[in-house]
Order: sequence, then structure tokens, then C-alpha cells
Amino acid sequence: MLNISNLAKTYLPAKKEALKNVTLDIEKGEFTALLGQNGAGKTTLINILAGNVLKTEGVVTIGGYNLDTHALETKRIIGIVPQETGYDSTFPVYETLKKQSGYFGIRNNGATIDELLEALYLKEKRNSNIRELSGGMKKRFLIAKALVHRPKILVLDEPTAGVDIEMRHTLYDFLCKLHQAGTTIILTTHYIEEAEKLCDRVVIIDSGKIIADEPKTRLIESFSREVTVEFQFDFELDIADMAFLNTYNPQIEEKIKLQLRVLKKDLSKVLQMISRRNMEFIDLAIEKPKLEDIYLSLIHR
Amino acid sequence: MEKIFYNKVGFITLLGREIQRFMKVPVQTILAPLISNILYLGIFGGMLKTRQMGINGVNYLQFLVPGLVSMGTIFAAFQNPSFSLISQKFQNTIQDINSYPISNIEKALAFILGGTLRGVLVGILTYTSTIVFVGFMPGHSLLFLGSLGATAFLFASLGLIAGLVLDDFEKLNFLLSIIITPLAYLGGVFFDIAKLPGLLSAIRFINPIYPLVSITRAVYLGIFEGSIYWLIGIAAVMIIGTFLAAVILFKKGIGIKIR
Repeated sequence: MLNISNLAKTYLPAKKEALKNVTLDIEKGEFTALLGQNGAGKTTLINILAGNVLKTEGVVTIGGYNLDTHALETKRIIGIVPQETGYDSTFPVYETLKKQSGYFGIRNNGATIDELLEALYLKEKRNSNIRELSGGMKKRFLIAKALVHRPKILVLDEPTAGVDIEMRHTLYDFLCKLHQAGTTIILTTHYIEEAEKLCDRVVIIDSGKIIADEPKTRLIESFSREVTVEFQFDFELDIADMAFLNTYNPQIEEKIKLQLRVLKKDLSKVLQMISRRNMEFIDLAIEKPKLEDIYLSLIHR
Repeated sequence: MEKIFYNKVGFITLLGREIQRFMKVPVQTILAPLISNILYLGIFGGMLKTRQMGINGVNYLQFLVPGLVSMGTIFAAFQNPSFSLISQKFQNTIQDINSYPISNIEKALAFILGGTLRGVLVGILTYTSTIVFVGFMPGHSLLFLGSLGATAFLFASLGLIAGLVLDDFEKLNFLLSIIITPLAYLGGVFFDIAKLPGLLSAIRFINPIYPLVSITRAVYLGIFEGSIYWLIGIAAVMIIGTFLAAVILFKKGIGIKIR
């Protein structure tokens, strides 16, 4: 659905390399998280897809159309939700979406627009000027605007930044439904739990290069050889008494909880060591690494 | 290779937006230039109406009308696409233009025709208001309308180029007050530029306003001298040249894409 090959971007005149030899293939129906720090190259990549930034090298095909030779065809396939909420206050919400449909060659798109306004909780604001919308509403309006031509690929650049928790979850539900309906989605976000909750593939970009590109479950699995084990006791602990567990980096939390970093294969050995000391625990929790931990360990590697 | 005409509905929508944009605020876009042109006519024309301009005994008021109509047309046509694009840069929505599946020629034409319509509208209204002062004049109404259309198209193309190249209103206002306004004054709007001495007179040969004002005046007065055909040729070359330049700028993404 989206094929990026050896994509490079150097901004002129500063000659700043924003993307270096990026290769990425996204299949139809995938929900991909594009993660990375500020300035990693995510927005440059999205802006190249949107036609806002001219690439320096590489080939991009969207829905089988080459961005260089069939740019107009690619625009019908992709919908972009930009990071910044710029808006034209000349026309109200409904009128703007009607015009947006027209730009994509669609007349009489009222049913789709009504459906989007309903799904994104903007129905009451259909006749409001965009400047009257709250920050969260403007974000939702931009999503509606990107979807009026029913694109096969939706690219969202930090759509939930600055959106309150409740509305964020409403957006998650909306995106899930859209994904289930067959839309290929690429999401950039700084909320790692968002990527963990929604996406089935994770691409991590750092200093213009892709440093990880795997299905989410496989990525988590590959980092799950080591787990965090937390024992809870009904007596207070002293770190000095835990020297026998030094291999496992013991940490004491709330005086009665002992946390250890343990390789999965050593779990039974650790349990034996603790029981040999007659330390009877009242609760035990084993926690796999979160995507956030993996992300942090990868970008600081 | 990109198709020349790709998305008719998209083109009509973009053109419609450019027209709606100025029709929504008619006081600023139509009425204000109209009033200032009538004031010019009232003040200059009233004071100098008996002065002969040397063209078959035409009085100054008759001489001035086509100049003012052209000037109104020029400024309105120039301002429409340039303000539209710079507003979008200011509102941070300029990148939207890149997302539309509309060819570069269609985009350029939509902006230029929007400006052309506004220019012609201001020109016709200015002309209509002058009927009170000088009566119904042009013997060649369709040619008069055509010359206004050509003037508006050229300056809408130049306005589009300015809107693409410039990135803020201050630069645009600077261009309007330092370049376009003096060119209008030295383009034969208020007096016969050919009668100025030396260099000031020669400026008309590089002034895009001069041939268009001269053609409009010739059509309005119904007086065609031999040089008018040269001026029509020069105007045609300028119109085609600026339109192609605007399309090329769109194609290269100047002012709308990041390099």
C-alpha cells in the first residue's frame, strides 16, 4: 500500500539531514505507529508523503502510484492529519468540509460529511466558525477534513497532542473502527501507550534512520527475556539484607516491596533463593517490559 | 507527466472559493476601491475637466475614466490571489494546496480567474459610476470588457506570483506601494506618459501597466492609432509570459513546498 525506498531528505540551505536512507513497506490494513523523539524525522517523512516537502533522494509509491510521476493520483489515496492546527476561518465547519470534498473531485458528499461530524462529535458545530472550536475540536475537525474523500491510507501526525483524556479515548475508538473497516493507518505520537493500545506494528525512527521496525508483539517479546518481578512481604525490608540478590538489581519500594530484574530462565532459581532465606511473600507480580521501556532503551542505545 | 486538466470539480471548487472569499467582504474588496476611484474622478476630473489632452479634443475627464477603470481593475486583480495565498501562509494552511489532486495549471487558473473576476467587477463598477460624470462612452463595449479582462488576467497572474514568492503582508504592501502604485502613476492612468521628458517617458516601455491602460483608453475613446497594435502584441506576450511563470512556480512549489 505504501512503499518507501532509500528515502533521504537534506534541508537546504543548512544541509541538515532529516532522513537517511529510509526504507519502509506498509501493507494494506496495517495500523503502524511511527515513534521517535522530536526532530527524529517523523514529520519530515509525513510531509514528503503529503507533498509539502521535496525529497532529496529515494522512491515513494502510494497505492502503486509513484509520487514523482503520478502525484495527483497519490493524493486521492492518502489523507493527512497535520500536527499543527492551522485553519481557514473564512468558512464554517460544514462548508469547509464540503469544499474539501470538492477539491478531491467529489460533489454531493453530504452523507459522508454528516457521518464524520457525528462520529467525531462535531455535529453541533457544523455551522460554527473554526476559530470558535476548542483545541480538541480543531484536532477532530482536521481528522474529518482528512477523511472526506475516504482515503485508503490515513496518516496522523500527533492527533491527540493537547486533547483531554476522555476525548483521546473517543478518538482511539474512532481510529479502531476506521482500521477495522480496512483503512491503513500510520500514527505518530509521543504517547507510547497510545501506540501500544492501537497499533499492530511499530517503527521507531531516530536521527533520520529507522532503528526498529517490527510487529508490536514481536518487538515486546524480543525485549521480554528479562522481566520485572515484584515480591510483597508483610514485614519491612532492609536493602542491606538483600545482598544475596545483587545479581538481580534489588530495589525496595514502600518498605515492603522487593523489585528484581530477572531473566525468565532464572525465575525458579530466584524463588528458591528467597524461600531458602525463609522470606515468605504474600504477593507476587511479574511484569513484562512495556513498549515505553523498549522505546527508551532503543533510542538510548 | 502531470495532466493539464485533471480535476474539473476540484478546479471549480477552488475557483468558487476564491470568488466567495472576496464576495464575503464586499465593502473591503469592491466598495473601497470603487469609492477611492470616484474620489479621484471627482477631485482631479472636476478640477481639470476642461483641459484638452491632445487626442482628438478629448477632455481630461474622458481621458481619466479609462485610466481609473484600469487602475481599479489592476489593483483588485493583483490583490485577490496575492492576499489569498499570503493569508493561507499566515494561517498555516498553505500546505493544504499541496494535498489537493488538482493540476498545477488548474490551481494557477483558479487563483488567476478569481482575481480576474474581482478586477473586472471593480472595473465595471468604476466605469458605471463614471457615467454620472461623463455619460455612456465606449463605442466598443465588448472590446472594452475584453481589455479589462486582459488587464485583470495579467495582474492576477502577477498577484499570484507575488503571493507565492512573498511570505508576509508587509512585503506585499511594500511591493504594492513601492512598485505597483508608482508603475500605475507612470503607466498613463492620470496623464499622457509619452509627453514626459526623457527617462520618465521611456519607463513606459518596461511598464506592464502602460500598454493595458493605453489599449483600454483606445477602446473606451474609440480612437485607434497605429501603435495600439504593437501594444496589443506586447500585452499578449506579457499575459502568456506571466501565466506560464505562475504555473512554473506552482510546479516547482516555490513558496508552498519546503526544499
